[in-house]
Amino acid sequence: MRRATLAIVAFIVSSGLACAQSRPDLTGFWERRDVSGSGSFGGIDARIPKAVLVPAVQAAPAEPPPNAAPAGEAPHKAGEPYVVTTGRCGGGMPFMMGHSAAIDIVQTTEEILIIPEMPGTRHVYMDGRSHPPLNALEPSNVGHSTGRWEGDTLVVDTVGLVAGAGIPGGGRRSPETHLIERFRLVDGGKRMSVTFTWQDPKIYVKPHTYEYIYYKDPADTYALEEWCDSSDPLQRQSIVPPEQRR
Amino acid sequence: MKLLAILFGALLAQTNTSGPDLSGFWELRFDSKNIPQASLAPKVTPKDIEAHREKDRMAIRWCNFLGVPRVMEESPLDIRQGRIETVIVAQAVSTARHIYTDGRGHVNPDIFDPTTNGNSIGRWEGDTFVVDTIGIAPDRGITSIPGGGYRTGDSHLTERYRLLNSGKQLSVTFTWEDPNVFAKPHTYEFRYYRAPKDTNARNWSCDPFDESRAKFLTESPAK
Repeated sequence: MRRATLAIVAFIVSSGLACAQSRPDLTGFWERRDVSGSGSFGGIDARIPKAVLVPAVQAAPAEPPPNAAPAGEAPHKAGEPYVVTTGRCGGGMPFMMGHSAAIDIVQTTEEILIIPEMPGTRHVYMDGRSHPPLNALEPSNVGHSTGRWEGDTLVVDTVGLVAGAGIPGGGRRSPETHLIERFRLVDGGKRMSVTFTWQDPKIYVKPHTYEYIYYKDPADTYALEEWCDSSDPLQRQSIVPPEQRR
Repeated sequence: MKLLAILFGALLAQTNTSGPDLSGFWELRFDSKNIPQASLAPKVTPKDIEAHREKDRMAIRWCNFLGVPRVMEESPLDIRQGRIETVIVAQAVSTARHIYTDGRGHVNPDIFDPTTNGNSIGRWEGDTFVVDTIGIAPDRGITSIPGGGYRTGDSHLTERYRLLNSGKQLSVTFTWEDPNVFAKPHTYEFRYYRAPKDTNARNWSCDPFDESRAKFLTESPAK
């Protein structure tokens, strides 16, 4: 009897451990590093393939870059500070995943949180729920995300993003667009590969995919806060000279 | 038996059962708040109070990050207990609260850049999760404290989280200590109700350049 009880307990424990151990632990602070440039990720981002857009989208104007001169204003002189048209704070998707600031991943059974240093935490539901119907989902800058494990890879599906651009490689997004991310630890957990695939037949001729590599920060890393105040005149100025405008 | 103990230990480490599981979405209701009047230090003047109120009005108007304690008045809050930290996420414009539970102390104030939520560490005392917060930015976000007073760079917040009613409710007592502001520690309680498991977080946007919103928030109503 005692032997049978021990066998049952051992089975339960080993099953639990196998279940827990089969899911890599992404917990911690992760940051991109510019390993081939001056710190602005320009060298890395230049290698991202160009998105192949459907003709109608290709012809439509994208959002102006944040440092563009307002319509009707004369070009600014090099180095001249000027008020930009958007002084809004906050990043959201996909900006926060490409930012130089660390992202903090908190992993639990039911939900995984991806936390930037600014507002706009991503909630990735792991409890098997589906996305709400799009007509019941108010678009937001982080959308609605569900996740599942495929072996050692966390697969996250996101919809409900606010329409716009800002996707590396020149992509666009709408609330209907699906972003599929695949998170995978590499190099013994010191690095994390995330591939981003944007899918939307109304926007892309074929899915647009690129990869970022994140580096694990030390265990005692703590969160910083990227303060931003739209009332601060400095927040609405740029000293980017015109010739650097994209 | 020794092997079993080791296996159990490893399993517990994976699932973080160092205390009751507070994870979930938590809502405030009409009867959630129990806030006595704060006993303020004699040097706090009505002018100080009004200055903070005015600053808070501007913080709301400009969509600034809320910070503690205001962020704890958002509803629902998403609380998740991770392996090295517990996080509290609100839906309004606010950064997440990071409460480190891996035994670390506070970050050295000499190198910590104060934030709207401060630097928090947590520990379990029986079934109560005790959170200690310092390093709150004195001039950012909403600084007023329920019951009176305001936070400064010297403020020290202690919170005690405890599940009630078989986990359907969460009691949080907040105790503020700051000799610049309070004559004695100021304590109040919020009781949160557990939201359904299928609750989805919403990410409220706030547009500081929405002119009609700004007008509504800053102009006095017509008399």
